[in-house]
Amino acid sequence: MSGAVQDRRRINGPARSVEPIYTATPLDTSLAKGRSDGRGLDHMRPIYAKAGPIASTAQTTGSASGSAFYEQGSIRISCAVYGPRSGRKTNARRAHFECDFQYAPFACNSRTHTQTDEHEISLFLSNTVGPAIRLDSYPKSSIDAYVTVIESDGKMATLAAAINCISLALADAGIEMYDTVAACSMGLRGSQWVVDCTQAEEAECSMLVAYMPSVDEVTGVLQNGKTSLEMHEQAVQACTNVCVRVYAVICRALQASLE
Amino acid sequence: MTSLILSPSEQDFITRGVEKGFRADGRGSLDRREVTLRTNMISQANGSARCRIGHLGLGTDVLVGIKAEVNTWSPGEPESSGSIVCNVECSPSAAQEFEGRGAEDLNVELTQTLDRMFNGPQSGIDMSKLCIIPKQAYWVLHVDALVLDVKGGIVDALVWATRAALLSTKLPRVVVESVADEDGNLQCEFDVVDDAEDQVAIEGVENLPLSVTFNQIGKCFVIDASEQEEAVTQASLTVAVSPQLEICAAQKGGFLRGFPPSLLSEIMQAARRVARDEFAKFKELYVAAASYQAGDEPSTGSTFLGAF
Repeated sequence: MSGAVQDRRRINGPARSVEPIYTATPLDTSLAKGRSDGRGLDHMRPIYAKAGPIASTAQTTGSASGSAFYEQGSIRISCAVYGPRSGRKTNARRAHFECDFQYAPFACNSRTHTQTDEHEISLFLSNTVGPAIRLDSYPKSSIDAYVTVIESDGKMATLAAAINCISLALADAGIEMYDTVAACSMGLRGSQWVVDCTQAEEAECSMLVAYMPSVDEVTGVLQNGKTSLEMHEQAVQACTNVCVRVYAVICRALQASLE
Repeated sequence: MTSLILSPSEQDFITRGVEKGFRADGRGSLDRREVTLRTNMISQANGSARCRIGHLGLGTDVLVGIKAEVNTWSPGEPESSGSIVCNVECSPSAAQEFEGRGAEDLNVELTQTLDRMFNGPQSGIDMSKLCIIPKQAYWVLHVDALVLDVKGGIVDALVWATRAALLSTKLPRVVVESVADEDGNLQCEFDVVDDAEDQVAIEGVENLPLSVTFNQIGKCFVIDASEQEEAVTQASLTVAVSPQLEICAAQKGGFLRGFPPSLLSEIMQAARRVARDEFAKFKELYVAAASYQAGDEPSTGSTFLGAF
């Protein structure tokens, strides 16, 4: 609504609008009674993964080379992969891989413009999934992954889900890879690492690990918050184990998409 | 980073050298280049520091200025804590590709890296002490970093300079009074004391972390990679360690390969060892820098450049 030109034919809405302020309900942050959704401390939220376009009847001609839809609890992410195609930043020796991460405006709690966040996450995703792709097989071409977060629930968990979604979409696109990347996140509650924290459970210190099980390589580590070295190592170890389980889910989704 | 083109034989030379424990400039794999630190050179800023890693003319040069401002609280923000806002800009004088919008990507990446390390309780600063009046006013510390030259190891230089700048920051003292208004309610008012002598340091700055960036070249890793070594790096891990040797942040960069978990754990152990030495070295340099400006040199325009 521009302040200068007013539409006099209609009844105008307010010129300025603000978010409603919710009275904060006291959150039971202790884990004494277990987690609010009844999961164990080392259980991930149930995952639904589907390779292929979101609309099941859509054909993939003329649109994305590969796509995937990934759900983890109430996190919903869709990813489309375009490539290998001719691109602007070409390298004679290898493909140029780029991720574009975007929140839908209604995805998070508040409708704030988180553009700087998105850019950095895009960079992080490129660095995490990049090692899995055989970039040398596609010289002078460009592979782009466009990730849209439809619904987000826990920042680190959403990042981990995005990584899983991209891996699935890349495989669906038929791009040569060394292995699919599986990722999982953990939050530090007291002195205990809790797998896959929701927004309500998210703590000051959180960790994300992306792992390729067949090649035994950690392609991405991200830690927010402070913790001791021993706890850090414990978390990496635990995350790697959970990643293997996520990997199985992704592989099964890929097999299902071939049937 | 800056695109340095190396021939395959140069790359091979560096890779094999690192695997055998030799680096191009004769350092060990866990040795940092010489660091030069100067503080409080910008009179308009509440705190400032300039850090150069590497020797004059061939080093990574970063200038950080801290400006403190009072912000009015708006609903939705934390009620009794201040905030730290980081901003990194790469100057076109560092590399040709930084002119115009060329450095945009790099600026965003470095800003977020600094933000991850310093904005929040993991930095060690007591954010609640930066609050002046709860639900009314708080200090915002603007950390503005200007990258003057890039010759490898940019994140470490940024963190060193930011730590030195925050350590040297002096906030004006604030006097808070409760005044009864016409309804008899107690309103809090604050007054910033405008005295250059009456300033306080930020609480908790001794707990600020330092970062160590490990670059994987071949099968081994090195810290503080030079420009050539960075061009050969396949993957890197930046670890921020606090003086209490806790891990404050960890971030992997580089899209060519990942680390086997065993190498990852080796790097984290090395990070702790290296950090111990780094903190000692930092303290030495910081104390030297603080006593430097008390020297008897006339402060002219060329002192800023000449002293460095």
